Amino acid sequence: MNDGTKNGPGPPAHRPATTEDLLRLHAPQVLGALVRRYGHFDLAEDAVQEAFIAAAQQWPAAGAPDNPRGWLIKTASRRLVDQLRSEEARRRREENAAALTPRDAFTAPPPGESRAPSEDDTLTLLFLCCHPELPAAGRTALTLRAVGGLTTAEIARAHLVPEATMAQRISRAKQKIKGVPFRQPGQEDRDRRLATVLQVLYLIFNEGHTATSGSELHRADLAHEAIRLTRAVRRLLPTEGAVTGLLALMLLTEARSAARTGPHGELVPLDEQDRTRWDRAAIAEGTALVEESLSQGPAGPYQLQAAIAALHDEAASTEETDWLQIVALYDELVRRAPGPEPMAELSRAVAVAMAHGPEAGLAELKGLEKELSGNHRLDAVRAHLLEKSGDTEGALAAYRSAANRTLSVPESRYLMMRAARLRA
Amino acid sequence: MKYLVMVQGSQADYDAMNGKASEHSAAWSEKDLQAMFAFMGEINNDLAETGELVDANGLSAPSQTRFVGADKDGKPVITDGPYGETKELLAGYWVLDCASLERVTEIAARVAACPQPEGVPVYPVVIRPIPDGPGIDG
Repeated sequence: MNDGTKNGPGPPAHRPATTEDLLRLHAPQVLGALVRRYGHFDLAEDAVQEAFIAAAQQWPAAGAPDNPRGWLIKTASRRLVDQLRSEEARRRREENAAALTPRDAFTAPPPGESRAPSEDDTLTLLFLCCHPELPAAGRTALTLRAVGGLTTAEIARAHLVPEATMAQRISRAKQKIKGVPFRQPGQEDRDRRLATVLQVLYLIFNEGHTATSGSELHRADLAHEAIRLTRAVRRLLPTEGAVTGLLALMLLTEARSAARTGPHGELVPLDEQDRTRWDRAAIAEGTALVEESLSQGPAGPYQLQAAIAALHDEAASTEETDWLQIVALYDELVRRAPGPEPMAELSRAVAVAMAHGPEAGLAELKGLEKELSGNHRLDAVRAHLLEKSGDTEGALAAYRSAANRTLSVPESRYLMMRAARLRA
Repeated sequence: MKYLVMVQGSQADYDAMNGKASEHSAAWSEKDLQAMFAFMGEINNDLAETGELVDANGLSAPSQTRFVGADKDGKPVITDGPYGETKELLAGYWVLDCASLERVTEIAARVAACPQPEGVPVYPVVIRPIPDGPGIDG
């Protein structure tokens, strides 16, 4: 395992592993082991959480055991068995006898023996947590808790919802996948399911990178967690271009995070960012991954977006950015998308403006009016382009409209400041 | 005891902060905005440190508001569009857990002292106690 040694912009590279690190590292494998042996995802999950709490209480004082994963599996198994023995659980067990009874020796090896390498459990768990039956919010919550090892309180805090709401969301999600067999999807189903897994990881990352609401622009924990989980998936599927591309995209985006906000949490746009504060190591790693991903088959949306991010990250300034190449990559992205991609087209319009002038960019926006009508980002882009083209009144009105529409506090403040600066 | 502390505003006030002056209000400058954000940020930090802050949020512009009813099939019916230009309504709130009404009054007075540019309407800060008892989760 090379966790913690190359975490990009995450925690310092050589910090000794804390109890929390150890727990997060082992979370998916411990839960996987239990679910594979006993079934009952929901009960197993509770048991694992209890074992983690016990570990968090005991390890810091007594020291971590030599085999932390074994300790956790043993402790969680005991709790689960206790629970299964209780009356309530027995009733449930009888009701779900079919689901509980192992179909054959392959799906349920005896305790203490694992038939499949435990890493496979991580992937199986991810597939389970990102089950198509679950709503998007349930998928991300379950993934963070079951695979990421975050507590309900941590997930709630990161999503800015009360803990009770998140607990309910998680328990509903667990109910929904009850009885789904713990195994990887078949080959024909696998690609589609992997796409969902990557989508969930990207969602978690975006939620952390640009909080869509609330007062903190950057919820770093979520972004780091998404990167860590994507690294884990890449270790299991090193030749999957989409996985490599997604990890590259996350690293190249996160590399700019230190420069994205000012001292009071205000948003700093790309062209005003202090590029010396970008994380060079993450950029180098991300760029190498982009190249690798492009050799792993046809470029999908993650690879293309990563390639765009790499062009931004490698440029010494906005002026020296290879905007023509970026426009070409956006063209590719829009062309290959299965459906309309208005947000990609909006970014493309910005690139066109940078390459050919603000009027060219404004002309591109005309085609997006219908699909993005009422979207604050369209207004924000229009405001910037109008300002660049010298139309102060038009720019003001567009900034105003964008500031009124966004639900993110830092974004709204940034737009208000731009409007105020324009009037000065 | 918990208290809801509310500040009011209208669409015209939001527009003024975004640089659009009207009969109702002068426009805010970048410096005005920064002073206001810094002032509110300090209050929130202090309240977080005293442990009195339960929750606080600014609300988005009134033009984002909608009134919703339900038809006989339970489908949502939007019965009123965005609030009008001058109607005053909730613009932001704090939920505070304070030792006394005197203490929360002191905090509200501090909120009311927020720096504002000349020619901007001044609204009172509103306090409403939240009775103890089981909340929605209880």
